[in-house]
Amino acid sequence: GPGLKVISTLSVGFDHLALDEIKKRGIRVGYTPDVLTDATAELSVALLLSACRRLPEAAEQVKSGGWTTWKPLWMCGYGLSDSTVGIIGLGRIGQAVARRLKPFGVRKFLYTGSGPKPESAAEFGAEFVPLTRLAEESDFVVVTCALTPATQGMCNKDFFGRMKKTSVFVNTSRGAVVNQEDLYNALSSGQIAAAGLDVTTPEPLPTDHPLLSLKNCVILPHIGSATYATRSTMAVLAANNLLAGLRGEPMPHELKL
Amino acid sequence: MWYHQPAINEELLQSLPNLKVVASSGVGIDHLDLKLLSSYGVKVANNPFVVTTDTADLGMALMLASSRRLVEGHEMAVSPDTEYFPADWLGVEVSGATLGIVGMGAIGYKVAERAKAFEMKILYHNRNQRKKEEESAVGAVYCKKIDDLLQQSDFVLLAVNLTPQTHKLIGKRELELMKPTATLINISRGLVVDQDALVEALQNKVIKAAALDVTYPEPLPRDHPLLKLKNVIITPHIGSATKKTRWIMMEEMAESIEAGLAGLPIPREVL
Repeated sequence: GPGLKVISTLSVGFDHLALDEIKKRGIRVGYTPDVLTDATAELSVALLLSACRRLPEAAEQVKSGGWTTWKPLWMCGYGLSDSTVGIIGLGRIGQAVARRLKPFGVRKFLYTGSGPKPESAAEFGAEFVPLTRLAEESDFVVVTCALTPATQGMCNKDFFGRMKKTSVFVNTSRGAVVNQEDLYNALSSGQIAAAGLDVTTPEPLPTDHPLLSLKNCVILPHIGSATYATRSTMAVLAANNLLAGLRGEPMPHELKL
Repeated sequence: MWYHQPAINEELLQSLPNLKVVASSGVGIDHLDLKLLSSYGVKVANNPFVVTTDTADLGMALMLASSRRLVEGHEMAVSPDTEYFPADWLGVEVSGATLGIVGMGAIGYKVAERAKAFEMKILYHNRNQRKKEEESAVGAVYCKKIDDLLQQSDFVLLAVNLTPQTHKLIGKRELELMKPTATLINISRGLVVDQDALVEALQNKVIKAAALDVTYPEPLPRDHPLLKLKNVIITPHIGSATKKTRWIMMEEMAESIEAGLAGLPIPREVL
């Protein structure tokens, strides 16, 4: 309605906001960057590890009785030691992910995005490469970019086609960055080894969606920032953003339109 | 031999008079009667180094999966009964929490290196204190008494080997010393924990949760209470389960056997 003055979103992503319209109407927007970086980066690493070491699959085998005798190659996954990790979007969350992955023995970090970020990349010796090279050379791909017209559907048939058969794909950005049909085909045909998704399109996926049937796809219910501590901080921040907006004051975290 | 099979006892050794070398997969040798083998002149080799990294990685994976409710979350996300994701479904952060490592050997130390990147506060209990440089590299604080570690930790991770001294190291007393909000992670051996005491502690919310790669026995009998508890994640002893590591283990075992049969010094011999 015409009386709307402030929008306060409980997220750092703002792809769900029609920014042109909002700007036209002089509405201010508050959001919650930084405070959710650690929790989201932590969840991204948790998801990566669960996917590459097949945790939900293995846990299910224990419960179902599928675990009978032990065989040397049963339930084997992929290790991080000596690996190449490619980060799509070396922003706050991307950097926090790299920081957490470094001691796992990662040999090389690659990253891609709209442009190189030398200061951010220096800590990890990360190399800026085109998307295609990142796909070709990475053992682990982690998507932590914002959803924009440029990144929409970016992870598609061509992308997955370039990835290694032994590679693991992790998306904790936004579902729409991934072409889900192409991802399904890549996973089911063995073009890539496994995937971990905290985000999908839509959320939740329809009950008959093919991705849900794949053993090598770990799907989580968009819990990147879902911890008691972080959500509390986000909620307080969002409330303060809103109140400041209504009072015509500077917001703790205002989105520049 | 892979994973404790076949069981090596007097009968077996007597039936194999020409047996010279036993190559045992992995680093654990608690299943071997070394005195018995030695009395038959049989040499033993294991894989002490190659399993370290993958096992430490799995320890971290279990801690993160437990704290952020990953297995539960995955089940919810793929369940046909899920209509929407509730906004108040929350986990607890690992970042900034206190990790107590019981057994700071090669594996325990690698866990510390990984945990440090999550800004965890690290305590450790070990037979001996590590060198100052090793401690400060990971910011680990030595707890000479295990009680101090248990009382302060949000996550207690077991990375000791199984010996008569570590058998049932974590029992009712130790579990009661832990915080009610704490999680026990076991990547060592099932018998390091008094399993019945653990079940009781989990049922009575004496501790919050457990994540176990090892139990006793493996696998657990189908009606075991641990399989039914909601606050437990159990994985089927996959600490070293990556293709690369398992291949290296096989190569190492073959190498040790060949050396033994040739009468040469045995790489990775257990003395």
